[in-house]
Amino acid sequence: MSDLDKAIAQLRACRPIPENQVRELCYKARELLIEEGNVVSVDAPVTICGDIHGQFHDLMELFRVGGDVPETNYLFMGDFVDRGFYSLESFLLLLCLKVRYPDRITLIRGNHESRQITTVYGFYDECLRKYGSANVWRYCCEVFDYLALGALVMGASTELDASDAPLADPTSQSTLPSDADDLEIEILNSAGQIINRFMRARNNTSQDLSQLSNPPSSPSQQTPSRNGAPGTGASGASRGSGGNNGGAVLCVHGGLSPLIDSIDKIRLLDRKQEVPHEGAMCDLLWSDPDEIDGWGLSPRGAGFLFGADIVKCFNHKNDLSLICRAHQLVMEGFKEMFDSTIVTVWSAPNYCYRCGNVAAILELGEDGSNGGYAPRSNGDVGRSNVVLAERMEQRQGPGRRYRVFEAAPQDSRGMPAKKPVADYFL
Amino acid sequence: MASTKSATAGPVLERIPHDANRTFSTPSKRINDGDDLTFFLSSTAYADLMTWLLQLNRSMFPTKDTDGKVQHSSLSSPPKYSKAVQSLRSLVSDLKTLIEKAPPDTGPRRFGNVAFRTWFEFFEDSADGLLDAHLAPILGKAGNERVAVKDELKVYLLGSFGSAQRLDYGTGHELSFLAFLGCLWKLNAFEDGEERAIVMGVVQPYIELIRHLVLTYTLEPAGSHGVWGLDDHSFIPYIFGSAQYGPAISPLDSVPTEGSVRPSPSPSKVADKATVADYKDTNMYFSAVQFIYDVKRGPFWEHSPVLYDISGIKDGWGKINKGMLKMWAAEVLGKFPVVQHFPFGSLFKWEADPEAVRKGASMHAQQQPVARSMDVPAPPAASSVGGTKAPWAKAGGAGTMPQMQAASGVPTMRAPWAGASRAARQATGSGRVAVTRGPAPSGMPQTAAPWASNQRVDPAAANMTSTSAPWARKNDQ
Repeated sequence: MSDLDKAIAQLRACRPIPENQVRELCYKARELLIEEGNVVSVDAPVTICGDIHGQFHDLMELFRVGGDVPETNYLFMGDFVDRGFYSLESFLLLLCLKVRYPDRITLIRGNHESRQITTVYGFYDECLRKYGSANVWRYCCEVFDYLALGALVMGASTELDASDAPLADPTSQSTLPSDADDLEIEILNSAGQIINRFMRARNNTSQDLSQLSNPPSSPSQQTPSRNGAPGTGASGASRGSGGNNGGAVLCVHGGLSPLIDSIDKIRLLDRKQEVPHEGAMCDLLWSDPDEIDGWGLSPRGAGFLFGADIVKCFNHKNDLSLICRAHQLVMEGFKEMFDSTIVTVWSAPNYCYRCGNVAAILELGEDGSNGGYAPRSNGDVGRSNVVLAERMEQRQGPGRRYRVFEAAPQDSRGMPAKKPVADYFL
Repeated sequence: MASTKSATAGPVLERIPHDANRTFSTPSKRINDGDDLTFFLSSTAYADLMTWLLQLNRSMFPTKDTDGKVQHSSLSSPPKYSKAVQSLRSLVSDLKTLIEKAPPDTGPRRFGNVAFRTWFEFFEDSADGLLDAHLAPILGKAGNERVAVKDELKVYLLGSFGSAQRLDYGTGHELSFLAFLGCLWKLNAFEDGEERAIVMGVVQPYIELIRHLVLTYTLEPAGSHGVWGLDDHSFIPYIFGSAQYGPAISPLDSVPTEGSVRPSPSPSKVADKATVADYKDTNMYFSAVQFIYDVKRGPFWEHSPVLYDISGIKDGWGKINKGMLKMWAAEVLGKFPVVQHFPFGSLFKWEADPEAVRKGASMHAQQQPVARSMDVPAPPAASSVGGTKAPWAKAGGAGTMPQMQAASGVPTMRAPWAGASRAARQATGSGRVAVTRGPAPSGMPQTAAPWASNQRVDPAAANMTSTSAPWARKNDQ
């Protein structure tokens, strides 16, 4: 068993690894992450996860529900640390898995992966408490600077194979769609039972289901005019493969920025730094979608609020079918907005031990229709001569399987010895 | 100048002598950057707030009669309430009945319940009437300045019940309520020796109302330190509650810094749910811990590690009380995100305290806006300075405080640096914080952005066409 595997085993048991091992791990992780672009390309199938916030036992529950690494590919959208009791164990475990299975797990940066935020919101205190010095906190912060800012999921299938799982509520048999051909969304509970299913909307039927958290509905589809690789702005003329008419899925912790109108602009940022107080990099990690037109000021004091028009325009221009983000607690674990052009995924159940919310993860399946080959392009900027409003047809969204889960059972955790109190009480 | 000695050994907040020519002013925000925070720490307002808290804290210790008999300090045997205290109780109770008029919204929601905004509107609309109804004696004395006094008081009262815009509540709001009561003390609303009645008769019902609001509208903890905060929403119940179990004192004794009154539950009982229930109705500390058990699931040591560690202290409730006071000074008064919205007027004044030991900026202050580099990962720390010597103060002044997070901890997150830019300056520039619908103009706990106090941003005004974020230029007006 390698040292790395030993460390993984120890962290899975929720025991921190020694400081020198953390240093080595962080060094290796940095070497790996420095090679990644600001926007990592990820192939479907992949399971997308939102905020963790140090809820280690719930992270274990997430792996139980979603499948273990490396059997399942994961993409975590940041906010691994702060607020919870086990930020350290959670982040180090994810980092170990990243180093051990680099192609199986993607970590992108959240607004909490920052020196300033972690000194205020808990992770710094936790490291001091668990190691007696700030060294480990420092090593982790150095890794934060190298985390990618976003990920682009390619080759996700627009079709969703109906799982033959049992229904959570057998009496709903008659009301749930049974014709599996047009399935767009399936929602499963932590026991793998089907809670709900939604079919793809047809023929411009106006299904005003946006804003529900168990909603769905991509609006009706027209034939997309371009077939180039999504997220690249390439046109069908250059690419030509029409196997998958779904766009790519952009994953980012917070949301959009008024300074960023194309994914290539994200690629141009210099990300290897502390999260700035303003600017594009800050916005990507801090912004929130909201029911407004255009851009608005965020009550958070960083990032912006952005409305449906912004999302639809951005998705169209970048050939995206969906933006997937985290950053906001959602009581139901996930929430699709703006005609399913953006979804919030939240993976910390009963947040802070008291919010009573469930958590969710989002599975995107692999598109097998083109021999498993997902069209690619190196992204030729400016090919999408978008005339907004005129022809804002929307990409068909990927088939989405949400797995919803609750907080891990708590009874088995023993009471630890009391630690020395803070200096105030000495 | 901030404090005067009276019949007790503790500091007492100086009262304002009656003077027909005295003028009042509507409090406004002054703390906009790290330098302002440093100034605040040696201002008369800081000294007054500290004095007022210490004065109330002292009153909560058990007392010794002249014959040495110990009188316990229990919520079940409060002192007799004066008319002033009874009026304030009615005010708090009136605010509670407003909840019935604003039932929580049952529709889909993210977390905080938007019906809180309705409650807050009722509150704002009735604030003048409530002050007129319940503070008639005080306002009557003000003569021509009646409106000005009321406006000064109102800003602190409105700042005491959370943020309508952000649907949250934190220690900054709690501080605003303390200041509201401090203003009333300065205005001679209370008699000498009434401090315990103020805490048990007004502060405790206020805290209970806050719990009611938090539960009804699922208000988020402002600031959000998660498990690493002392408590999600409150701080002062831990101060006053620990004092209740401290050693008994005679009028001339100084405030104890260790030991406990007998009988009293061991601090370790905090981790025992059943015992907590036994003491929740008589002690403010246990009442606060009970609320945590009510709203949180999971092991106590895990969701409340700070309180858990404190429950291991061997030197008694006096020691805990001393630590709580230090922690409050550092984590509430000393933290930019908390005090940046505290407003200053004619009673809590933005002026240098000549008695304060002028100190260099703390590390925490240096980390605040205008500080040079945000890359320096020095942890937040604040020094307790100011005119009033805390009981534990040593010659040579306070050293840097250890770091640890104070109250709060959940959902949304705000940028700690938020609030230092344009809108804040504008608010100061106008000399007056507009009391409009929406968030309270004062006492906001955390780092909400300054423009958060404008109801909703006009979409047109907020519409950005190109590159530059509105606050990107830090220094313009």
